[in-house]
Amino acid sequence: MADPTQQLMDMWKKQVEEGSQAWLRMLGAPQAQPLDPQAFWRPFMDQGIAAWSKVMTQGQASPDLMVQWKQFLDQWIGAWSRVLEQAMGTEAFAKTLGKQMEGFLNAASPAKKAAEQQIEGSLAGLGLPSRSQVVGLAKQVVLLEEKLEGLEDKLDAILKRLESR
Amino acid sequence: MKDHLFTMTPEMPGLPPEMQERMQEEMRRNFLRMKHFAEMVMTPKEPEVGPTPREEIYRKNKSRLYRYESRRTHRTPVLFVPNLGISRPYIFDLMPKGSFIEHMTQQGFDMYLLDWGVFGPEDNDLTFEDVVTRILPRMADKTLQSSGASEISVLGYCMGAPITASFLGSRPEFPVKNYVDMAGPIDFSQAGLFAKWLDAKVFDVDKYVDTLGSIPADMVKAGFKLLKPTMDLSTNLNLWWNLWNTEYVTGFNALNKWANEYQPFPGEFFRQWVKDFYQQNRLIRGDLRMGGRPVSLRNIRCPVLAVGAKEDNIAPPACVKPLIGAVGSVDREYVELAGGHISLIAGRGASVHCWPKVASWLAARS
Repeated sequence: MADPTQQLMDMWKKQVEEGSQAWLRMLGAPQAQPLDPQAFWRPFMDQGIAAWSKVMTQGQASPDLMVQWKQFLDQWIGAWSRVLEQAMGTEAFAKTLGKQMEGFLNAASPAKKAAEQQIEGSLAGLGLPSRSQVVGLAKQVVLLEEKLEGLEDKLDAILKRLESR
Repeated sequence: MKDHLFTMTPEMPGLPPEMQERMQEEMRRNFLRMKHFAEMVMTPKEPEVGPTPREEIYRKNKSRLYRYESRRTHRTPVLFVPNLGISRPYIFDLMPKGSFIEHMTQQGFDMYLLDWGVFGPEDNDLTFEDVVTRILPRMADKTLQSSGASEISVLGYCMGAPITASFLGSRPEFPVKNYVDMAGPIDFSQAGLFAKWLDAKVFDVDKYVDTLGSIPADMVKAGFKLLKPTMDLSTNLNLWWNLWNTEYVTGFNALNKWANEYQPFPGEFFRQWVKDFYQQNRLIRGDLRMGGRPVSLRNIRCPVLAVGAKEDNIAPPACVKPLIGAVGSVDREYVELAGGHISLIAGRGASVHCWPKVASWLAARS
């Protein structure tokens, strides 16, 4: 049976490899070259280690390990946040996001139409109003309210004129 | 009972007294963490929000105008215009001692809050222009009528700032005494990640609105979560860290309720919002028209305060500050305060930095 520490290490390595593949796919980078997960993740690891050493050396040298642990996690999350923000601020990321949205809309549009038609058909069969009919009615109520407001305004203006006479 | 429990912690010989005290304190906190965690999971309580008494002055479709009465030591009332969609406005009156509105009323300002409401599919035709030319002017008039004042101060927060700026920029005759932009984007070329993601080259807003009709709350949520993917992690970490603190937990519950109530956008509103502001940046460029009138920020001549938040990733300071250079006012000021988009106006930091600044600036001019 393999050493549990080794097992954990292998699992982590696998995760790193899969994670970096996903990152590159997301960023639309060419994948012709074999990946070097170590190089890809090094900046993050370096940041983490730098954060930890900063806590240990420059932070308040508190005997309270919990405080140091919290400081470390805060800095770690902060470092990740900065890295992610940088990655998400690239044009490649924006393009990928736009493409994903478009893909979603292309898939959603026919599915939405088909579902709406089916539901409307079923509701009509049961003699119930469809969603679009209810929405239409609500729109009419909104318009009616708008017209009433207009009348109110006109009445107010007339009253003001009469009062000023 | 509490003290008895924790003095029962066994003494650890060999440890310095200070260390022993810390360990006991940590054990006490861990006990409270577990207790509060169990309460949150087993018997969650609905937090009470919006504690300041208010009166509904006017309603128009889904929107409401509320009045929060004060001793009125300042003559000029304040019309507070927050964002439309995205979230509910009770963040501004979250809880006792944690409420911007409560703070302002205590300082003697009558506050009027425009709650845009939650729009449904029947409102999908509502445009940004409708909001600026039909809803907001009516609410502003009702504020004047209700207060009996001859002028009002207008305070726009987040999207409420470009909405109010468009209104004031197209209606120079409106009697506005002071204008405050709190974390409201004005120059959208500097609007951070959203400006990049909504760029016309990569985001087809027409296709989006034509397909979905409106922008569902889940989509809005996804966009904001993506903006700061580590937010949930740090929120939960901080919750665990402070879970022993009853006051923190109460505040967290209220804020968490708000943070998970995302609101949809009416489709046409979103289309115009993205095209005119994010993609074409027409407000600062001065080629925006509302209700047939040109919108010119130069038309804003009253005293202006713009407040940016250093860590704001929704409306970064660089997109808030340009208001100051664009308005026609002589009395104008920009301040950059600590915090992010939300913590600028809600939370302990806000009560120390932002609220007193805004209140004192307005007090000197109201």
